[in-house]
Amino acid sequence: MNARYFLLVASLSMAAWMLAPLAAAQSSEQNRYYIQQMIELATTNDDHGVTTTQRVLEQSPKPASADPSGARAASQRGLAALEQNELETALRAFQQASQADPGNVEAVNYLGLIYRKLNRFQEAENALQQALALEPTRAVAWFQLAQVYGLQNDARRALGALANTYRFAQNPMRAEEILRNIAENEAADTLRNAALETLRLYRLPVEAVIVPPLPANPGIAPLNVPPGSVRAPSIRPAP
Amino acid sequence: MKPVLATLASMIALAFAASVDAAGQYETIDYYVQQMIAQANASDAIGVQTFREQMENLRRPEAGDSAKAQPFRQQGLEQLARNNLKEALTAFRQAFITDPADPEIAGQLGQTYLRLHRFKEAERLSVYALSLAPARSATWLVLGEVYGQTGDAHRAAGAFTNAYRFAKDPPQLAEQLRQLAATSNVEAVRAGAQQTLQSTRPDPNPKPAATPVLVPQPAPTTSVAPTVAPKPSPNAGDTALADAASAGKSTVAGAVFGSLKRGLENLTGQPNGATPASDSSRPQALNADSPGQRIYQQSIPLTCLIVTFRNGKTDNLGSGLLVSTDGLVITNNHVVEKADNLAVKCGERESAASVRKRSKEPDLALLATSLQVKNSFVLNETYNQDLIGRDVFVIGNPYGLEGTFSTGVISGLREIEGVRYIQISAPVSPGNSGGPVILRDGTVIGIAAMGLKAGQNLNFAIASTEVIASRLFDPTRMKSRPLSGK
Repeated sequence: MNARYFLLVASLSMAAWMLAPLAAAQSSEQNRYYIQQMIELATTNDDHGVTTTQRVLEQSPKPASADPSGARAASQRGLAALEQNELETALRAFQQASQADPGNVEAVNYLGLIYRKLNRFQEAENALQQALALEPTRAVAWFQLAQVYGLQNDARRALGALANTYRFAQNPMRAEEILRNIAENEAADTLRNAALETLRLYRLPVEAVIVPPLPANPGIAPLNVPPGSVRAPSIRPAP
Repeated sequence: MKPVLATLASMIALAFAASVDAAGQYETIDYYVQQMIAQANASDAIGVQTFREQMENLRRPEAGDSAKAQPFRQQGLEQLARNNLKEALTAFRQAFITDPADPEIAGQLGQTYLRLHRFKEAERLSVYALSLAPARSATWLVLGEVYGQTGDAHRAAGAFTNAYRFAKDPPQLAEQLRQLAATSNVEAVRAGAQQTLQSTRPDPNPKPAATPVLVPQPAPTTSVAPTVAPKPSPNAGDTALADAASAGKSTVAGAVFGSLKRGLENLTGQPNGATPASDSSRPQALNADSPGQRIYQQSIPLTCLIVTFRNGKTDNLGSGLLVSTDGLVITNNHVVEKADNLAVKCGERESAASVRKRSKEPDLALLATSLQVKNSFVLNETYNQDLIGRDVFVIGNPYGLEGTFSTGVISGLREIEGVRYIQISAPVSPGNSGGPVILRDGTVIGIAAMGLKAGQNLNFAIASTEVIASRLFDPTRMKSRPLSGK
């Protein structure tokens, strides 16, 4: 009897252990679905729909922290590296931080930011969606996600993400001015147009540019830099 | 207002404050600002004070980085003083984004929008700035001008009255109002200022206010006296603002306060077409010995950036030149041939553009724009050996580097497939196409068109004589002349 019971418990534990990643993956897929829903609903300014989906996301299970103090230390290293613009070092540090504490929204958000700065858009999108699954009203993550979509010429999703940036902004007037700044000065067409559309969506005043702004740096690099290694002009800093 | 009424107004305000808690933040503060204007128009000092106190009790936005914002603000002030409005906007905007809790910055951003004739933005920023400092006289003055500019003399008068009420130096403010009343070219601004000046005349028998909230102020030595003493603002709280509701969430509040927003529909936006010129791109001092500087200064406002759009996206960049005072621009056909839409920026002025005429050989296009200018380029009719060795100056936008100026000499005259070209040694890159090649006398000798990749500094401009001989040239609107001097 004892042996049987032991076997049952062991097999259930084994099954749970084997299925855990599947469940996590399912949950992650679900979260992505809800975030995409929030984006889609935001493009039509469906307030009720966005709020409902946001609440569903807020109630989804959050990952447990394995090593919060280790995560904090890694985050500190990451921030220091980021300040020095050492993106690869910062990336490794925030990867460690988010693995040690997958529920640390700051670390996951920074991970997304660094991926975006490195033009690794798919990974940036994943990390930012993960941050938004943890905190669906995090305006700065919505803003960075909008940049990711804008730089990939995904106009509709850039609009939805910017609309949520404004919706969840702590200071709407500041967000409004940031949007106007992008709508008038951003060189990337998709992002600029998305900002313009967001302001129009919320019936906020904006002046559409006649001549779009040109990139501040059309590939200028020191003469000793090998051809092809020049990075695309970076977009304006996140708020 | 009697004390009972004041108390009642205060209670109503409190009730509104509670009911609008979930509504849009802007609508809430706009409500209080409009109430302060209405009370000012009714000469109800206690009413103004009541709503001012309500506004001061609102939760304040989170402070930003003041130390980082101040240099931007300083830059904005300098640009504003030079009337470089676009540059001032950029600087104040950066300052505001860096520290959105500074009422001076928010107010100055609103003022810049006003000077750019962007009245809706000016109103929003001024109202927001008043939520940070309801007794900031300068912001009330800007808001009054905004309402006046949009034809609402009544609200202009109310805002001006509050500007006067809260002025630290009432005689100086009265003088500003007199200036507006006398010199503004907008009737509602003049009327609003006039009304305020009349309503704030010194009372020969001043009576103390009904409640001790406000202290009557002795009449100043000028003809205009304030109705109430200015009161210092309370210390700014640094409490974080609650999660902001979006404008989309504010439909209820919008309906409630809809009547307060009457007249907003009449607000006008930026006029279409040309934007105001700015002299920001011009150097402050001119070296008289440098022909390059002279040519650059004369030519840069007449040289155009051409942007083409295809399928809704920016597609191609090129250069062009203004050849008539009513906005005709010449460029290369290859710059615009695949475009769905076009826009041009000549100096600081922008306009949409359309192709009026084009030819493949020579590679030229004539664009129509809405620009109106005092001067235009003059085309040079000369095409002979006398040109060789003469200095030339090229302006254009290579790779989008706007207004790039370079020099060289005329290296030769070439006829390629029946088209006359000027060979020049001045550097030309993609984006220069369609731009002017200019002689020392300021005339245009050619239109930059192409270069020989295999060589160095072997570049070619379509001779102006080809333009003059083409069907693009309209002698009634464009000017040409032969070579003069050396």
